[in-house]
Amino acid sequence: MDSQPTPGEPAGNEPSRGLLRTAWDFSFRMVLRYIKNSYKDDPFRTFLEVCLIAFIIWYITKQKYNIGNNEIVLSEKEIDELVEEWNPEPLVPELTAFERETLEKAIVIDGPNGTKVRLASGSNTKPLINFASYNFLGFLDNPQIEEHAYETLRKYGVGSCGPPGFYGTLDVHMELEKQVAAFVGHSSAILYSQAFTTTLSVIPCFSKRGDIIVADEGVNFSIQQAVMLSRSKVHWYKHNDMADLERVLNEVNVQLANRRGKKALPRKFIVTEGLFQNTGDIAPLDELVDLKHRYKFRIILDESYSFGVLGKRGAGLTDHYSINPHEVDLLIGALCYAIGASGGFCCADKELVEHQRLSGLGYCFSASMPGILTVAASDAIQILEANPDNYLVSMRENAVLLRSLLKRIPGLQVEGDNDSPLIHIRLTPETLVRMKRSGGAWTNTDIDRVLIELTEEVQKDGVLLTPSRYVDEHERLLPNSSIRICVSSAHTRKEIEKCAHAVKSAVSRITSKKR
Amino acid sequence: MGKGQRATQVYKSTEFIEQRRDEDGLVVGSDPFKLAPSSSASLLETEKALKTGDTAAVAEAGAAEPAAAAASADTAKHGGEHTSELDTVPTFILVTTYLSYLMLIVFAHLRDFFGKLRHPEEYVQLREQNGWAPMVSDFESLWTRRLYGRIRDCFNRPITGVAGGHVNLLERVSHDFNKSFEFTGRVRNVLNLASYNYLGFAQSEGPCADKVEAAMREHGLTQASTRAEAGCSQLLVETEEMVARFVGTEAALIVSMGYATNALNIPALVGRGCLILSDELNHSSLVSGARLSGASIRVFRHNDVASLEAELRRSITQGQPRTHRPWKKILVVVEGLYSMEGEFCRLPEIVALRRRYGFYLFVDEAHSIGALGKRGRGVCDHFGVNPQEVDVLMGTFTKSFGAAGGYIAGSRALVSHLRLKSHSAVYAEAMSVPVLAQVSSSMRMIMGEDREHALEGQQRLDQLAVNARYFARRLAEMGFMTMGDAGSPVVPLLLFSPAKIPAFSRECLKRNVAVVVVSYPATPIITGRVRFCISASHTRADLDYALEQVSEIGDLLMLKFHKGDASAKRVAELEGGGRIKTE
Repeated sequence: MDSQPTPGEPAGNEPSRGLLRTAWDFSFRMVLRYIKNSYKDDPFRTFLEVCLIAFIIWYITKQKYNIGNNEIVLSEKEIDELVEEWNPEPLVPELTAFERETLEKAIVIDGPNGTKVRLASGSNTKPLINFASYNFLGFLDNPQIEEHAYETLRKYGVGSCGPPGFYGTLDVHMELEKQVAAFVGHSSAILYSQAFTTTLSVIPCFSKRGDIIVADEGVNFSIQQAVMLSRSKVHWYKHNDMADLERVLNEVNVQLANRRGKKALPRKFIVTEGLFQNTGDIAPLDELVDLKHRYKFRIILDESYSFGVLGKRGAGLTDHYSINPHEVDLLIGALCYAIGASGGFCCADKELVEHQRLSGLGYCFSASMPGILTVAASDAIQILEANPDNYLVSMRENAVLLRSLLKRIPGLQVEGDNDSPLIHIRLTPETLVRMKRSGGAWTNTDIDRVLIELTEEVQKDGVLLTPSRYVDEHERLLPNSSIRICVSSAHTRKEIEKCAHAVKSAVSRITSKKR
Repeated sequence: MGKGQRATQVYKSTEFIEQRRDEDGLVVGSDPFKLAPSSSASLLETEKALKTGDTAAVAEAGAAEPAAAAASADTAKHGGEHTSELDTVPTFILVTTYLSYLMLIVFAHLRDFFGKLRHPEEYVQLREQNGWAPMVSDFESLWTRRLYGRIRDCFNRPITGVAGGHVNLLERVSHDFNKSFEFTGRVRNVLNLASYNYLGFAQSEGPCADKVEAAMREHGLTQASTRAEAGCSQLLVETEEMVARFVGTEAALIVSMGYATNALNIPALVGRGCLILSDELNHSSLVSGARLSGASIRVFRHNDVASLEAELRRSITQGQPRTHRPWKKILVVVEGLYSMEGEFCRLPEIVALRRRYGFYLFVDEAHSIGALGKRGRGVCDHFGVNPQEVDVLMGTFTKSFGAAGGYIAGSRALVSHLRLKSHSAVYAEAMSVPVLAQVSSSMRMIMGEDREHALEGQQRLDQLAVNARYFARRLAEMGFMTMGDAGSPVVPLLLFSPAKIPAFSRECLKRNVAVVVVSYPATPIITGRVRFCISASHTRADLDYALEQVSEIGDLLMLKFHKGDASAKRVAELEGGGRIKTE
């Protein structure tokens, strides 16, 4: 490698002809003299330079190695044979016995969904008290909203037949947007036609490749998907652990401070949920806002389950903590759960909302919400605004009562914040160990099976519950299996007691069975 | 096709078809399906057709369109139409279009430059401030602020009431160059060539609306839960069964939003180690779904079967990158009807490839279901392809059915898997009652199962076919450059120049016609276009009025690029696609 000659060395000196030749000779001699001198001063340096030049020549001329292109060249016949041999997996795997069972036992409701429901399947034809739907405020069976829906149908029909950009924006959409923004106390709002897709659209709309997201580990699946779709750099912090969050924020900021050159500052977001769907916990917004300012991270808050539920007015987490809603930069909410209509919304500053009208995928590329459901949402918010105590006080009393009753049941673990009407229950690990005859380990499927059995048992006592469902293999951290109980303001004290009693007797029946 | 023939016979045995056959097929008078009368007989009385020589062929083609025969005969012709159309673009137009965009961009930068000098306070939120990065960066938003901003009045035009054949537009004005809009309080009734109301089911009256009201009285409004938990109602199960029957598959799953149907279900089908081969013009929801799935994604040229085959051969033999492990599965994702182009996917050829290469086929029928085919069963019906030959049939209810949401149909195994594993079924809200009722009532009508309105569905299908062909042909005759296949209810007309895009929309609005214009980034930069969506509820007067106005605007904006031969060739092309020798 080092035997390469210095370029241009063996040239002989001939008498010059013409100006060009003179110039060439002159410069060549200069270079030669320079090399001679430098060799005399520092032979080691010349040696290094020669090596370097040799290396460059070798590097340029060597065979290119391309990561993306390591294709094998095949003849047509070989290709045909390989195509013939290729044996793809089936499109969908065969269902396991447990999955088949789950499908068979799925809840199918006959008639309207509401505080009381009738099941289409099974032997049980009596109406059941519904603790499975997110009907926190009882708006599912509100006659006033229904009556108005019939009227709306006669004006707006059902579908809007187009995305909002192409003549799909109705006057009632704009009114509801204003109403929601005013109710939350933010500047502006935008409607999406499905709650899950709202989060999925909003986060990638602002957080792009190269941006930074710090997210709670316990967030719902929609947020998990949204941060994935955004292609941003995601850091996770321990569920509702503000000390851990601060550690991560600090780390990120230190890394950014050390970033090279004058690279633009990326956008930084804290992403969390108001009322956690998977645990029933409430996020400490006051501390989050404090951290936001100290570390200069914007907050994206998913209030899908807390909108209409938390706070004195039911306006969500900001209301609950009496914090100025503008502190939350992007506030996402759902209108399909507590409000009992459909779709979701995002509250933000006016410019950010306008930006979503062009860049929010779920807004731009799907039909707008049907007029009937828009008006239903509007009515529900109006009713709640007019008389919040009527709904919220009884809902909270019911939640506190049920929680305290459930906590008294031996062998049962009750999860979630005290104020939250979303209660997750599961059997304690000790109980599970006691139930296993051979002392073997419990698989997730075993636990799920027990929980389904438990819901079937309570159905016999006239109570409808559902295990919380997940797509296990797609969840980032699969939450422990549980049964989710949604308390409603429409439940009576007697119904709450009946639920607790049903759970109690079901638990004792289930746990006494060895398996 | 057995079923199809039977349906046709029932239809033909009535008096209606006799009456229709020797007439034009276009409807005179008001919206033919508005305030639908109690029986189909009286509905017929409301329409009186004109008899003119030049549209007889159209009527004939529309009244009896044997899908399969037409399809196999002319599929070869369809290929490359899109590109050949563009090949004929005069160079002058190409050059001026690029120059116009260049000018716009130069001016955008100039205005930004001087704007920042003179009013720095207006640009504050685009810069890093005090350690906060801008929410929307300067560069990213240039297009929105400086290009889209100029023509913002052509989009998001608010309406009130139903987006039917005519629509009530809330009039608005802007006093600050489209930064904000003010409502004048006036409502303008304009002809609607913009909404996806193909079969005219966007109605607030009539049998479907009555059924929706009855369903709401019986089943309430919404579920407030997911399908997998407590949001599955008997009504949902029944409607899913009906959808499966309609599409011709074993089972179906209903999703409460169209975009979500793709975005949340593809991840349940493919994942790491799988490959998605996607048409380059696929809808954003398919792209989102593909990205969320974690599978590798490769793109083939739009509607180019040869490109797809080459990509298949390469992918199957080379396997995954670096490791050369064979792909676990390959999913080919195409759309039935490309809504920006008005082109059908080349299903028969793709199905033939599927048999040979063993990939799985996903067809997005968002626009084609209900709008294509003799029986409205979508692109399979149009081409006479057995729906079993497509692994995943996806569609939406927003368009032809006047409802919302979508479905995935396929084998029972597929749908069972999705009920357990699809993100939409497990995590997203279940479909609301009025939407379900609208889907089932309109679908029942299309299938002719609604006894009181047995003929209305077929009549709507025929009307749409006749209207669409008539409109596209007349445009071609006028010398406009249109895209798309014969019979497509979406008729795009090429505008090219960015100045003509808003001008066309504003001129149309001035003449009381609502249209959709689209340009980059929804289309390639060169081919800005206006897109007409034809509906069964348009009458002859509606279409003729629109054509007259479009023709005038075309003269004004110099849009009639096709002269003489080229125009005749295009007309022949459109006719050829649908000319059928009946009886």
